[in-house]
Amino acid sequence: MDGDHGTDALDARLRAFDAELANLRARVTELQAASANAPKAAQGQEDKLSLIVFSGTLDRLIAAFVLATGAAAMGMQVSMFFTFWATAGLRQDARQLKKTLLERAFGWMLPKGARRLPLSHMNMAGGGPLMIRHVMKQKGVASVEEMMTLSAELGVSIYVCTMSMDLLGMKEAEMIEYPGLSYCGVAKFLETAAPGKLTLFV
Amino acid sequence: MTNVDARGKSCPLPIVLTARAVRQVAVGESIVVLADDRAFLPDIEAWCKKTGHALVQAQSKDGHFEAVVRRAL
Repeated sequence: MDGDHGTDALDARLRAFDAELANLRARVTELQAASANAPKAAQGQEDKLSLIVFSGTLDRLIAAFVLATGAAAMGMQVSMFFTFWATAGLRQDARQLKKTLLERAFGWMLPKGARRLPLSHMNMAGGGPLMIRHVMKQKGVASVEEMMTLSAELGVSIYVCTMSMDLLGMKEAEMIEYPGLSYCGVAKFLETAAPGKLTLFV
Repeated sequence: MTNVDARGKSCPLPIVLTARAVRQVAVGESIVVLADDRAFLPDIEAWCKKTGHALVQAQSKDGHFEAVVRRAL
C-alpha cells in the first residue's frame, strides 16, 4: 500500500514536472522569437543623414557641407533642409524680379548667396570671410562652392523651406541651380528624416 | 599606380575622392590613395568599415600616408 501510494505521488510530481517543462519550453521559444525580432527593428533604421541648415553664416555652411559630402562618401543617403537665414546662402545674384517693397528690403539686407555670407565669429565687417576663404585655399579645404558641386555629384538632396522663402521674400527664380533642388515644408522634412539614424541642426 | 592623390587636400576631400575612385574600378580591384591630412588614417579606416571595402594596407611613407583599398561590391 505504502509503495503504491509513493508511486502515485511520484507520478503526480512527474506529471507536474512535465507540465512545467512544457511551459518553460514554450516560454523559451517565445523569448527566442522576440529576441530575433528585436535586432531587426533596430536595423530598420535607415542609413541616412538629415541636416537642418538654419544659420546664414559661412562657417556653419562649411560645416554642413563637410558633413553632407563626407556622409555621402560613406554611402549614406543625405538630405539638407535649408531654412531661415541659411536660405540666403542658396541665392544667386538676383535678377530683376517682381517683389513687394518689404521683400525688396529683405533682399537688400540678406546676403546674396554663399559668397556673401558673414562668419559667425570674427566677421570683422566682412574681412573675416575673405580671410577664411584665403586660409581654406591655402590648407586644401574645399570651398563651399566646390562642396556644393561635389554634393550634387554625390546625390545629396537639397530641400528649401518655402515658409522661410516667403518670410524673407525670396523667389524660386533667384535660387542656385542644383540638380533636384526642391521646395517643401516641415512634413516633407519629418517624413524624410524620421526613419533615418542621424539628424543634425546646423 | 596611384588612383587618388589627395596630398595637400583636407577633410573631407580624401574620403570623398576615394569614394569616387573606388566606383571606377571593378569589384575585387584595388586603388592606391595618397594623403597627408592628419585625419586620413582614422578616416580611411572608418570609411572602409562603413562601406565594406577592404583596407588592404595603410602606412606612413615619405611624410604622407598611403592606403590600398580593395573594392568589395
